Amino acid sequence: MGNFIKTNQNPLKYVRIKVADHSHIYLRDKQRCQRECENKPCTYFCPTRVYSWSGEDREIKVAYQRCVECGACPWGCPYDNISWSFPPGGYGVHYEL
Amino acid sequence: MGNDRYDVIIVGAGPAGSSAAQLCAENNLSVALIEKGEFPGSKNMFGGAIYSETTATIVPTFWEEAPLERPITEEKIWFMEPNSVVEVGFTGYDFAKSPYNSFTVIRSRFDRWFADKAVQKGAHLLTSTLVENLVYEKLGLTGKKVSGVRLEDGSEIYSEVVILAEGGWANLAEKAGLRDNINSKMLTIYIKELLALPQGVIEARFNLEKNEGCSIGMVSYPTAGAIGKGGIWTNRDTISLAVGGFLDQFNQKGLNIYQLLYRLKGHPKVKRLIEGAETVQYMYHQIPRGSYDNIPRLYDDGILVTGDAANLISGRHGTEIAMLSGMYAAETVIHAKAKGDFSKKTLAAYGNKLENTFFVDNMKVRKKSKIFYQKHTDSDFLISQLANEVAKVFFTEGFRTEQENINNMLKEVENIQPLSKTLSDLYQAVWHWRVL
Ligand SMILES: Cc1cc2nc3c(=O)[nH]c(=O)nc-3n(C[C@H](O)[C@H](O)[C@H](O)COP(=O)(O)OP(=O)(O)OC[C@H]3O[C@@H](n4cnc5c(N)ncnc54)[C@H](O)[C@@H]3O)c2cc1C
Ligand code: SF4
Ligand code: SF4
Repeated sequence: MGNFIKTNQNPLKYVRIKVADHSHIYLRDKQRCQRECENKPCTYFCPTRVYSWSGEDREIKVAYQRCVECGACPWGCPYDNISWSFPPGGYGVHYEL
Repeated sequence: MGNDRYDVIIVGAGPAGSSAAQLCAENNLSVALIEKGEFPGSKNMFGGAIYSETTATIVPTFWEEAPLERPITEEKIWFMEPNSVVEVGFTGYDFAKSPYNSFTVIRSRFDRWFADKAVQKGAHLLTSTLVENLVYEKLGLTGKKVSGVRLEDGSEIYSEVVILAEGGWANLAEKAGLRDNINSKMLTIYIKELLALPQGVIEARFNLEKNEGCSIGMVSYPTAGAIGKGGIWTNRDTISLAVGGFLDQFNQKGLNIYQLLYRLKGHPKVKRLIEGAETVQYMYHQIPRGSYDNIPRLYDDGILVTGDAANLISGRHGTEIAMLSGMYAAETVIHAKAKGDFSKKTLAAYGNKLENTFFVDNMKVRKKSKIFYQKHTDSDFLISQLANEVAKVFFTEGFRTEQENINNMLKEVENIQPLSKTLSDLYQAVWHWRVL
């Protein structure tokens, strides 16, 4: 579907996330993303764009603060390169309604 | 908390966990119900609707007190093409009165209320508390038995038995060796937008009375070529609009659920229903798509697995099955407590109870449909396209004889695919539309 969100709507605007001070997501082997993973599906399956490819640093950047815990991560990476655990209790996404 | 020893620790205060907690507490077992969210439901979303009959087995006449949105009186399926829709539906006005059939609910409200029922019956609810691991003790000479849980701060809480009701991620079930690795072919992810509109506007647009609601399942167009579904549910003063599907398909096709939602909102049939509505919230969740083969081992020494964590999903009956499995787990644990034995030999009764349920039977049948969809990934799209083409010919007025019309329709059918495949697809689609 081409590049990410072309509209002005921001998927995070209507989500409350209590951000923990440390990341609940890390990449097991950053080299692997560059060397082996051609399509980098994490940059499009993640609905809130936690992952982005940095051309400059030649690596995937992880903005864990944006994670809405959709559940795709542990299984979405074809190389099992994403280590994903829950944010600490009481943190992360929060639905009031 | 340190030295407490409970009869039962339940991980997760969703429908499965809170059902189990209510029953155990009612029967005088000491219960700890542990939830990682700030309150039960704060992490949960679904379409959706809960079914009345099952909920009433846990809380009789729950509709008199539970935070419900609307009783569903209209159920529809839309076979959608970009500029046309074929609608199939059922309206049951009896469903607007007791004992009802199903209700739309918002999980942050419902789950909170449902867990509170367990608290009223004596369960200890711990919120903002993440269980990180299970704790074991020795059993006999070589064996081991689950004897509690470890929290993220390293502290431990002990119990005779642990019921896992942790939902589809099932980290702990996996750690306990009760669940095989699942993969992206078995996982669906969903996005939902909650859209606010005045009650009167919702009723006018959906042709409802004050105390009536509607659910619409949407096939084909919403997922842009991937296997999945869309749905609309009317709440009291909001509309839930959801779309999602299989993760492996999204990966293959380069799709993103947020974009799919945005695209769906632009469909002419959807657009007019949500015109002028204000976005209240986006929500995201996964559904494990089990079939009978993927049900994990359901119990071991000192441990039981329930609900989504056990892949117990059959069609749209997720919460219902979660509640029932929670109930059976509780019954088994109550019996084990009376016997003073929490080994897997006693807990095996849980597996037997489940084997005899309608939903495990359904799952055996649905095993076939999963295979069907894997083989015919295009079937939903062909059916939808076909239904729309044929309906268009049927309803297009012109100077043609009936025989010409029939010939035209047949031509449409054969243009899309050979007739024999069409009939089998149609049969399968009607039979299986509830699967996803
Ligand atoms: C888009 C969508 C639409 C759906 N529509 C419907 C529908 O219309 N009708 C229907 O019946 N079903 C529907 N379902 C399915 C239904 O939501 C699930 O089957 C049901 O919620 C399962 O209940 P559960 O109690 O097993 O798990 P959950 O509801 O997922 O509850 C698990 C709970 O455990 C907590 N938890 C998890 N791990 C831990 C831990 N380590 N420590 C502490 N707490 C933890 C979670 O925060 C959560 O509160 C839908 C699902 C989705 C995603
Ligand atoms: S999908 Fe996995 S391997 Fe590929 S870029 Fe993303 S994290 Fe790296
Ligand atoms: S769990 Fe979902 S929202 Fe969170 S990083 Fe993974 S894909 Fe993105």
